[in-house]
Amino acid sequence: MSSSSRRSRSRRAGTSVSSSSSRSISEDQISDLLSKLEALLPDAQARNGAQRGPASRVLQETCSYIRSLHREVDDLSETLAALLASDAVTAEQAAVIRSLLM
Amino acid sequence: MRGPTAKAFKQGFLRSFLLSLKSCRTGDMSLQERKRAVRSSADAAMATARGGGAIWPRALLASSSSSPSSSSWPGLLLNAAKVKTTRCKSTARRCCRPKRSSSEMIARRLVRKRTKILRGMVPGGELLDSVSLLREAMDYVVHLRAQVAVLRRVSNAMHHMAATSYLTGLDLSRLAQGLLHRVCN
Repeated sequence: MSSSSRRSRSRRAGTSVSSSSSRSISEDQISDLLSKLEALLPDAQARNGAQRGPASRVLQETCSYIRSLHREVDDLSETLAALLASDAVTAEQAAVIRSLLM
Repeated sequence: MRGPTAKAFKQGFLRSFLLSLKSCRTGDMSLQERKRAVRSSADAAMATARGGGAIWPRALLASSSSSPSSSSWPGLLLNAAKVKTTRCKSTARRCCRPKRSSSEMIARRLVRKRTKILRGMVPGGELLDSVSLLREAMDYVVHLRAQVAVLRRVSNAMHHMAATSYLTGLDLSRLAQGLLHRVCN
């Protein structure tokens, strides 16, 4: 990795402030990514193409969303764990798993 | 995630997940232990099905695995990312010009603080620059949603199976095909 390519990479990442043009490129990049991220959030439909919310809010809502998705996975894991434990499905589970992987 | 990619991911996830569950000896576990086994199987399956197009899958696998060989990847990543992050700190100090308004500074502080929180939520996020972090977060969210969707369908299907398991002469291979079809579409 040559030092010049490392420098240009970090400039693109928005860490250099040597010229105003290089700063606006990375700000545009970040702004674009934030818009795309906002479009993934739960109430994206309600926003309906309105101007992108402030960066801090998009970041906060992304964190809450990830947190809630983690919680869902956790709850579902608990449900599945309970289902795996119940005797009623044991024989069927083995058969299903075998069939699915054949 | 568009149609065919989403379907391929969900199918790959399901297969890895079921394989992992099958290899777990869950018989003697407590509910909490079994839950943890299911959760880590789901996360490992999600990471495996995603593959190498992002950073978070490797980070997720590394954090769940206890083998010493898995600790090699953070080193590789660190060499690439370390330069960026140290440079970031030094230029950040330089770029705080006094003529910026206090509301702007508050906004920036809030963004920095929340970016830091996001880093903690995305596997491997600690080592990434802001731009890569946002990309990873997007990718991670999309795949988390797919993971939730598949787990929910597996759970519903198994509920259904449990409810109808009293029926004798049940054609299990057809039931299995139906399960696979329902879960992946």
